[in-house]
Amino acid sequence: MADLSTEVLVVGSGAGGAFTAAALAEAGRTVLVVEEGPQVDPDAHEPFSLAEMVAKYRHHGAGAAIGNPFIAYAEGRCVGGSTEINSGLYHRLPDHLAAEWQVRYAIDEFAVPALAAYADRVEAQLDVNTVPGAPPASSAALERGATKLGWRNVEFPRVFSYDAQGRGTKQTMSRTMLPRALAAGATLVPDCRVLSLLRRGDRVVGARCRRTHPGGGVERMTVHAEQLFVCGGAVHSPALLQRSGIWRNIGNGLKMHPTIKLAARFPHPVDHGDVPMHRVTEFSPFIAIGGSASRKGQVALALADTGAPYDEAMADWENISTYYAAIRSEGSGRVLAVRGLRAPVVTYSLTDADLSRLARGLVHLGELLLAAGATELHPSVFGGRVVRRLDEIGSWWDQVTRQHSSLMTVHLTSSIRMGENRALTGADSYGRVWGYRNLRVNDASLIPDAPGVNPQAAIMAIATRNCDQFLTEG
Amino acid sequence: MLWFEREVVGALTGSTDQPLRSSVEAFVDGTLRDWPEHLRLGVAGESVLLGAYVAVLRRTGRLAPGDREGLAHLIEGWESSPVGLLRSYVRAMKSLVVMAEHELAPEVIG
Repeated sequence: MADLSTEVLVVGSGAGGAFTAAALAEAGRTVLVVEEGPQVDPDAHEPFSLAEMVAKYRHHGAGAAIGNPFIAYAEGRCVGGSTEINSGLYHRLPDHLAAEWQVRYAIDEFAVPALAAYADRVEAQLDVNTVPGAPPASSAALERGATKLGWRNVEFPRVFSYDAQGRGTKQTMSRTMLPRALAAGATLVPDCRVLSLLRRGDRVVGARCRRTHPGGGVERMTVHAEQLFVCGGAVHSPALLQRSGIWRNIGNGLKMHPTIKLAARFPHPVDHGDVPMHRVTEFSPFIAIGGSASRKGQVALALADTGAPYDEAMADWENISTYYAAIRSEGSGRVLAVRGLRAPVVTYSLTDADLSRLARGLVHLGELLLAAGATELHPSVFGGRVVRRLDEIGSWWDQVTRQHSSLMTVHLTSSIRMGENRALTGADSYGRVWGYRNLRVNDASLIPDAPGVNPQAAIMAIATRNCDQFLTEG
Repeated sequence: MLWFEREVVGALTGSTDQPLRSSVEAFVDGTLRDWPEHLRLGVAGESVLLGAYVAVLRRTGRLAPGDREGLAHLIEGWESSPVGLLRSYVRAMKSLVVMAEHELAPEVIG
């Protein structure tokens, strides 16, 4: 493939990139999307399976933020990005956070009604539904436990469409917005990593790329572009800007939802092919309680975290499901592109208050699941007590420590915050990187802080809003 | 994968089914190759140091050559070490092995 030229280059094809590509292509712009990962048939692998992790996840799903403790994280690396691998949960940005961030970061057009209008548009473009009929057993347990305790809970809608038999299909970007972009004339180039951006004064004029061909051959190419949208996610967007020599407020302030898990054993079989869609919102926005993927491998992983023998429990794995408590963290992290390293270094500092909140979340999660009828709870804490009765849960308060907790996350945001407060932000209110006329970011990096809920709805709404602004500017 | 990492994977894999053991080892090898370089370098460095330590234990007769159970016991002991990097090493390797061993089992992959 020779060097390419385009009007708009979109780097990344996840929630931000796909919405950007579709909006601009349908507005008549010439759009080229480059995606570092491969194009994978969305039906080729079972959700959350090891085969899917190898095919669609970055680092086989085994990324980690350095800190005390290390925090494992997973992100997509394929056409469609993390929308191909997530649970599809859809939750609008909470109003009070939007209002708070609008003031703190001086974000234009971020009032609650304006954002609601963009969310309406997103929902008109995707199927956002609750499950038809009764929820699966793992999800019903959350509802049952919360109801018994008098705690608020809700079934979150998901970006799923359902057929007449109730079979759901996740509306990933490779099934929805990317086909729309292509139908409107956009071009998609998978297996193409952007090495760096080409700058000239206050403009970016293109990108240096390395494309891998199916046979294994590697080709270097340059894409010349008049406008550039970086949509690689909260880790890889700042890393690309840093590799290109753009550093001001780029990569610091990374936020995540640190998550602690628990394996719950029930006296009856539970489902394992999906993720529970109920969430307990009693402790929102600081603590969210929900369910995780619970294939055999994930159940084993959760059981193994205590360090105690788990063969007996594993023999009963079909009665076990995994759940989590996730927190809005006070801590923050950093993304750092280091010369000579292909992957950026990611760090995260958890505060003592975060740890205390995680302990509280784990205790509440245990209370809830015992109320729901669980007979045995295995926390993701090394040396953590396997609990069978409510009066045993108190021991977890002291056991959730930096040394013993096994933490992970799937939500990473805020590494290039947006707003007019230049001291705190790396891009303006619409994602334009400070100091550059034609370089924009349009993904999770822009979200100023951890939203306390799955961020994909916020990413899509903000991306739509930013595209509107771009098209208005001509 | 370094020789000691191969030993760690072998010791942490519970199954005696040889094809499954080979699949687990191949998965861990592929994941380590795909890891961020800085994490891979850290794990490789620890593997060299820990491998040397285990070699000393074997040479001094405190760990019998081929004693997979003894090695597994030693590795699991490191999981409660006060040294954070050592704990992280064991947890990372164990996570990969546990996930792969249960997801690659014949009854799961069909």
